[in-house]
Amino acid sequence: MTGDGFEMTGKVQISLRQFTVLVMFYSIGTTILVIPAALAATAKQNAWIAAFAGWLLSLIITALYVKLGSLFPRRSIVQYAALLTGGWIGKPISLLFIFYSFVGAATVLYYMGNFMTTQVMPETPIEAFIVLFAGLVVFGLRLGLEVLARTAEILFPWFVVLFVVLTIFLLPEIEMKNIRPVAEIAFKPILSGAISYISYSSLPLIVFFMIFPANLNRKREAGKAFLIGTLVGGIFVIIVTFLCISILGADFTERNMFPSYALAKKINIGNFVERVEILIAGIWFMTIFFKTVLYAYGFVAGLAHLFECEDYRPLVLPSGMILAASSLVVYPNVVYMLEFDSTVYVPFSFAIGLALPLLLLLVAGLIRKKRNH
Amino acid sequence: MWVIFGIVVTAAGFALIEMRPLAKAGKIKELWLFALLLLAGTGLCIAVSLDAPVPNPLDLIYALFRPSSRMLELLLKE
Repeated sequence: MTGDGFEMTGKVQISLRQFTVLVMFYSIGTTILVIPAALAATAKQNAWIAAFAGWLLSLIITALYVKLGSLFPRRSIVQYAALLTGGWIGKPISLLFIFYSFVGAATVLYYMGNFMTTQVMPETPIEAFIVLFAGLVVFGLRLGLEVLARTAEILFPWFVVLFVVLTIFLLPEIEMKNIRPVAEIAFKPILSGAISYISYSSLPLIVFFMIFPANLNRKREAGKAFLIGTLVGGIFVIIVTFLCISILGADFTERNMFPSYALAKKINIGNFVERVEILIAGIWFMTIFFKTVLYAYGFVAGLAHLFECEDYRPLVLPSGMILAASSLVVYPNVVYMLEFDSTVYVPFSFAIGLALPLLLLLVAGLIRKKRNH
Repeated sequence: MWVIFGIVVTAAGFALIEMRPLAKAGKIKELWLFALLLLAGTGLCIAVSLDAPVPNPLDLIYALFRPSSRMLELLLKE
């Protein structure tokens, strides 16, 4: 496993700032669109507290990821899984990881198409959005990681501007009665909310093991950049959840499929600036793009590393076809989607995002112990 | 019919773009992998466009993780 694949991974270098922005975009991802509803379903008016709890947990998970990443500064997860456990166990582990990235990319593509057809352009068939968006993702991947990282860096100020505009314009609409009673905190609903928060937002960060820390220019500070990315991303999600609960109310947030979009519809400045939600939707066009691209990167580059190819790029175009077709298959209907995401996705995410890195850490620890004796 | 034609033309275009440099560099393994993925992608796209029943990977996850998600629900119920 030290041949070509190893050389290739180390060649592409992105800066720490670009990595931080990528992590931030990724952890906001689709979370910003759907998590307020999921949190409000369990924690009701305390959804923002559940988001806060999830944010704290996500920092712990990131710390675990940083620990694992620091053990293998020059390899991707697919490469060191085989290195640690040998080919017979390592390759299936890598396949699990690739499958997870594949499912993630396909479902997020569907999310994008579903959002566009149900909320924005109802008469256009979903295939049109999926082909366009998959084309964009493939284009980005074909150009490579450096281009994607620079794109994230360029888009970051725009993201912040849109977010600040959304927040400031919505401040007058906040009604404090919606978040009361605050003191009615029960442990289990908050925990359940926090668990769904981390399964959407921080456990999928495992796909970053394809680039972290092998493709970063300064590996020593990579962990700090990872933590800052999760931290900042989480703050955006907490703010949106708070706005949803305090403006729409827990009940409406829970019943709405895209509460943040409903939130943006509330913007009304002097009965003149109204219905600007599609501009605000630019926020999640950016975040969902990076989420899809990184999932797809995990899938394609994972395959390339699994077969020890020098470059993942020749595989991008056909993989894009597979992803676009599967995204139309994964969720037969919205009821299936809601059911899947709120129940089975959570343990699935924990198995890949938490159990797998823990297992690798354990094996690495055992090997080190053996070596010392 | 036109959709299938479009898919096949796209796939052929992809093959034209990627296969020649790979063949020139003598990367046989990459060529095989590319061809397999392209075949799978074309097949899947055609199957989806014909509304043929395609196995859903999420059904597998559903079957595997349903018991643990039930347990989680019971644990977190008030």
